[in-house]
Amino acid sequence: MKNFLFFPLMILLTHAGFPQTTQPGGPGQDNGPEIGIIERLDEYIPREVVIIDVDGNPVDFYSLLDKPTVLALVYYRCPGICSPFTQGIADVISRTDMVIGQDFQVITVSFDPREGPELARTNRNNYHHQIKKEFDPDGWQFFVADSENIGKLTEAVGFRYKQTGFDYLHTTAMIFISDQGKITRYLHGTYFLTIDLKMAVIETAQGKSGPSFSRVLAFCYSYDPAGQQYVLNVTKIGGMLILFFAATILLVLIITRPRKQTSS
Amino acid sequence: MESSEKHVSYLEYKGKHKGILGWILSTDHKRIGLLYLYTILFFFSVGAIIGLLMKTQLIAPGHTIMGPQTYNSLFTLHGIIMIFIIVVPGLPAVFGNFFLPIMIGAKDVAFPRINLLSWWIYVIGILIVLTSQFMGDGPPDTGWTFYAPYSFKTPTNVLPAVFGAFVMGFSSILTGINFVVTIHRMRAPGMTWFKMPLFPWSLYGTAWIQILATPVIGITLLLIVAERMLGIGFFDPALGGDPILYQHLFWIYSHPAVYIMILPAMGAISEIIPVFSRKTIFGYKAIVLSTLAIAFVGYFVWGHHMFTSGMSGRALFAFSFLTFLVAIPSAIKVFNWVSTMHQGSLDMQTPFYWAVSFIFVFMIGGLTGLVLGSLATNIHVHDTHFVVAHFHFIVFGGTGFAFMAAVHYWFPKMFGRMYDKNWANMGWTVFFVGFLTLYLPMFYLGILGMPRRYYDYLPEFHPGNIASSLGAWVMVAGLLIILVNLVRSARHGEKVTEKNPWGGRTLEWMVDTPPTLENFEDIPTVDKRPYDYD
Repeated sequence: MKNFLFFPLMILLTHAGFPQTTQPGGPGQDNGPEIGIIERLDEYIPREVVIIDVDGNPVDFYSLLDKPTVLALVYYRCPGICSPFTQGIADVISRTDMVIGQDFQVITVSFDPREGPELARTNRNNYHHQIKKEFDPDGWQFFVADSENIGKLTEAVGFRYKQTGFDYLHTTAMIFISDQGKITRYLHGTYFLTIDLKMAVIETAQGKSGPSFSRVLAFCYSYDPAGQQYVLNVTKIGGMLILFFAATILLVLIITRPRKQTSS
Repeated sequence: MESSEKHVSYLEYKGKHKGILGWILSTDHKRIGLLYLYTILFFFSVGAIIGLLMKTQLIAPGHTIMGPQTYNSLFTLHGIIMIFIIVVPGLPAVFGNFFLPIMIGAKDVAFPRINLLSWWIYVIGILIVLTSQFMGDGPPDTGWTFYAPYSFKTPTNVLPAVFGAFVMGFSSILTGINFVVTIHRMRAPGMTWFKMPLFPWSLYGTAWIQILATPVIGITLLLIVAERMLGIGFFDPALGGDPILYQHLFWIYSHPAVYIMILPAMGAISEIIPVFSRKTIFGYKAIVLSTLAIAFVGYFVWGHHMFTSGMSGRALFAFSFLTFLVAIPSAIKVFNWVSTMHQGSLDMQTPFYWAVSFIFVFMIGGLTGLVLGSLATNIHVHDTHFVVAHFHFIVFGGTGFAFMAAVHYWFPKMFGRMYDKNWANMGWTVFFVGFLTLYLPMFYLGILGMPRRYYDYLPEFHPGNIASSLGAWVMVAGLLIILVNLVRSARHGEKVTEKNPWGGRTLEWMVDTPPTLENFEDIPTVDKRPYDYD
């Protein structure tokens, strides 16, 4: 009967409000993750954000929003995920049948206040070069900003990152903003499907929002195989036990003689 | 004849307990088989209704009858129900329990109490899964695969669903051990390995997969519980874990699980085809060996679910090659079934219609599997409706059609009554037409690029989705006809008293209809090969 007590106990345990360290706050809660993205769907970008273009001129962020807009937050010296992410944007712009600068636009902003307009210009030239078709260069603009404006912008879109030494721990997503300044969708990761882009743009144009379909949470993280040895050991030992157990059953069945079935 | 208690049918037998207790506490393998049958049919209806709601949502772009979060929860629930509650236990639990002992000339399985325990564990697992729908933070939205890292990030109620699947795994392992021991130990005198019918053979292969593969998913699901509750970083990159490891562990179980689903289905088809062709099965040994080959090679192909997840080129080639390899034994079986029918005197009855349509849809499912198994095309159609169509052709078209074939084949033996054959054939026709209308357009949609798991789509996918959604309604209408006919006939159908209404040659057709409590008065001695029509 002990077995029967075990199950209700486990149900209680699995439903109990244990502190779930891997998800300190779900969507909608203020104390979200330290690094990552809290989706602020249907919220609006504040009006007073000012960013700086490649020529060093201040630009009102809100005034740029005349069509469905993709906001991409990176830092230009990033040694990790930013390059694949920005390359992913260049690729999807090349592949999509929508016209950049007409159906939608992309705004890349650096969240590192130490970076200046010349870095933005170099990056713009590099990535514009990666687009494999004719396009309007104003459809994809690159900016920097000071720390106050970066703080306002990143907090408004729920983008959380952390400085470690000279670099940052952060994630990536295309953040869709409507011409009214409303946040409508996040596409996470570094590789984007044209169909996702198109659906996001169409819905953004209509001011509709939708939750993320695939949350490929690509973090700038370092994987340490040596430190993860215990995981491999768990799987190895588990596998050995299973095989040993099964081999024992088979051997016992083959070696020992069957008992006669009683016919009563 | 004698009127001793032994001659009372298992349906009417009165044991220690009365009424419903006489069923849910019975250790008789036949009653346990029926307990599984009723549980599975009930949850299959629930899963089918959820599927129908999903297809109705997809009848037009945008929000039609439900929002995205509801859709995510429904496809998760649909997957969990259909995979863990229906097709994994599926044929072994129902027809294996009922007919394995009879077909090998035994009075029961080796461990009748463990057999009953496994049904109880299964039911408890179901209840735990169901609590995830109603308690806590809302139904899980991860899909039945519980992929990391999302399964750690989502605030929804993932843990009970995962734990329920874990518990059901024990039921599966116990049934596997029970069947292996039964087949090794309890075959009737004279029934050598190669005189054993093919359905028990398929159960034998399946049982080993259950024993070897199910613990892997058990450990994996426990690791998820440990990670969510204790914050140990196994799979979550934010904690230094490796999400790809999760996919490996998950598919090391879940790919063999596909063979847990399909092998017994193939076994049932191998029973039905010779009986309705009045001909000895073609290539008995080839079918046996291909069963074992599928069970063995099936362990080494899990990586084909992960072609786009990030693996070395060498691993990709190896998994792709092995995937092609595992197609060969399946093709051998198809070849043997068709050869058995060749020049047979075909008796066109409902079970035979199901069996033949099984071969048809299984071949479409199998061949599209090769499209997914080759690396270049996989990358093109990965995560599209093409994949959804493929596995519905295999899992539903394969296991589902074989289950229906088996129900209609063994129904008179199980209940001592015959269903209305006209309605049964009508049900099959409507179902078959609906099935093809539902799933064939999905191949087309997938090739065009419609992703899976989306509640919405671009306008250019509209026509295909209209056809598919209409097909879903037709198919469910067919299902309704079939189920109503079966349920009604189990109580009020025409009585069958003859032992062998279809002219079968295996032992279950030599015992009373319905079987008595102990199946055989005397254990028979077997001196012929099964399917001996010569």
